Amino acid sequence: MAEKVKKPKPEKAPKPVKAPKPAGKGGFKLDLQTKDQLKGLVFVSPFIIGVLLFFVYPVTLSLRLSFGDITSVVGMKIRLIGLQNYIRAFLVDVNFVPTFLQMIQQTAVKYPLTIVLSLIIAMLINQDIACRGLFRVIFFIPFLLGVGEVMQQLLNQGVDRAVLNVTDGTLIPYNVISYFGTTIMDAVQTILGILVTVLWGSGVQILLFLSGLQSISPALYEAARIDGATEWEIFWKVTVPMISPMLLLNLIYTLVDSFTNITNPMLSYIQDNGFKNGEFEFGAAMGWIYFAFVGLVVALVFAIMKGYMHTNEVEGVKKHARKHRIITIESKPKRSF
Amino acid sequence: MIKIKWFRGQWLHITFAKIALYTVMLCLVAFTALPLIYLVSTAFKPMDELFVYPPAFFVKHPTTVNFSDLVVSLGSSTVPFLRYAFNSIVVTLTIVFLTVVVSALGAYSLVKFKPPGGVFLFNLILMALMFSPHVTRIPSYLVVNSLGLINTYGALILPNIAVAYNIFLMKQFVEQYPDELLEAARIDGAGEFRIFMQMVMPALKPAWATLVVMSFVSNWNDYFSPLIYVTSQAMKTLPLALQTISGGAAAVSVGRAGATAAATFCMTVPTVVIFTAMQGQVMETMVYSGIKE
Repeated sequence: MAEKVKKPKPEKAPKPVKAPKPAGKGGFKLDLQTKDQLKGLVFVSPFIIGVLLFFVYPVTLSLRLSFGDITSVVGMKIRLIGLQNYIRAFLVDVNFVPTFLQMIQQTAVKYPLTIVLSLIIAMLINQDIACRGLFRVIFFIPFLLGVGEVMQQLLNQGVDRAVLNVTDGTLIPYNVISYFGTTIMDAVQTILGILVTVLWGSGVQILLFLSGLQSISPALYEAARIDGATEWEIFWKVTVPMISPMLLLNLIYTLVDSFTNITNPMLSYIQDNGFKNGEFEFGAAMGWIYFAFVGLVVALVFAIMKGYMHTNEVEGVKKHARKHRIITIESKPKRSF
Repeated sequence: MIKIKWFRGQWLHITFAKIALYTVMLCLVAFTALPLIYLVSTAFKPMDELFVYPPAFFVKHPTTVNFSDLVVSLGSSTVPFLRYAFNSIVVTLTIVFLTVVVSALGAYSLVKFKPPGGVFLFNLILMALMFSPHVTRIPSYLVVNSLGLINTYGALILPNIAVAYNIFLMKQFVEQYPDELLEAARIDGAGEFRIFMQMVMPALKPAWATLVVMSFVSNWNDYFSPLIYVTSQAMKTLPLALQTISGGAAAVSVGRAGATAAATFCMTVPTVVIFTAMQGQVMETMVYSGIKE
């Protein structure tokens, strides 16, 4: 594009020599490339304004807030007091650390489950089955409802517990329940509840895995089969390496999603402190601790996965993708670090 | 393997593996769909069925009393339910429209015109993708406040337009659009805006169809903006109204259970409608692009 634009330049350049008057009158004459860039700037300017106003400025202000103390709300006068807000979060506040740990515990349970389950489901859908499109839609629909207040509301109504009630005797007869005892049945109930919520949260992951699976060339499977590989070996040595870009994306997406989800206890705690109690500085400090933690975990996942990514195969995927006009997106996490 | 004679003289082959596969799939689908069915059937349950213990799954005597309850009980309060619904619709539709225009224009010019600072802006976008919006809630509030937008539709709309994810998604699609077509149009004398509207946008229909659904869903369910930027009841949107009806997260008020169920149901309907309308487009692009908010 840029080279193409440069070409007309020599043709344009003699123009001012021929007619110097309009150029002189109109101020300065722009060459085509600068003109293009200016046009681009005009088109992108609404976005730039939005980002500056509602992302860059708030981020810098919140960083300053977290290290300071508001002396006057009018005009936002901030006195820097160093690390006091951070120290308060860890040493003074009674609830911060337990909430943090609770959040980590929640994520630790659901995170691997989401990834594994969505991979399994994606592989099942990727089989040659009837109504593939229907299954795709059904697994994706919870995403439409499962974000925000509706999900919260359903959880309050006890969907995760009530929906698959194993202890009420309809699904499993009473004598079986009494045989196993209530402790085990409670455990089963909890597991089923977690399964439901996990399934509800994995619509996007399934689609991402599916797109990864569909971009694997069938020739690879054929070659592996001819060489006598078992299905298990094919899974670990063909499928997993080939979808590793999608796997990475999914790992990071799921992580970010679960940390920024409305059901996350940490966020509501920050929210309560920042707004209901009006302690903006403390809220900002906790927010930044939280963000640092999330960033750290994402970086960790990234570092682990980077060593694992099979670059040659990834190139193969890319080539195949280009041929079939599939966009690969592994540039997203790579560029951000 | 079982062979069954199918119509038109074809044979249907049923293998054990196939049966197992379908069984597993159906179980998973049931798992996924159960809460949905529960949501729908609860909305139509009469009062006595709502409090059956253990909760019944399907409704036995469906009624629409919950919906009239919802409208009536809220109609008697200062702000009718329809006002919340109206707010939600206005805000969400405006955001969706503006964000599609801004993101498409921005992505198009970032990719095709390469303005100065474009690379920096793109890196900023990537950073914003990782950034939890909740950290910046408080300063965003200050920005909105200093713009004098508190308690207006502007407060609900403006902060949600320039979303990093949206421009990122559009950018992935714009990059595929061939430069040759643009050059051909320029040589034929089309203006830049005309090229954008008549050539680029139609070609990017899958991209902005995806964007419409994504943006609609997330903004329709957006709980934080109305909670923070708006204090007057008359300006609040459905997610907040839902919380008001249910009487907060902790208290499950007995009298309101029916109305809550109906309200929850009402809230999910528009997202499903939008999704089914755009479904064909979105599913294609989702599978081929693999991007999501």
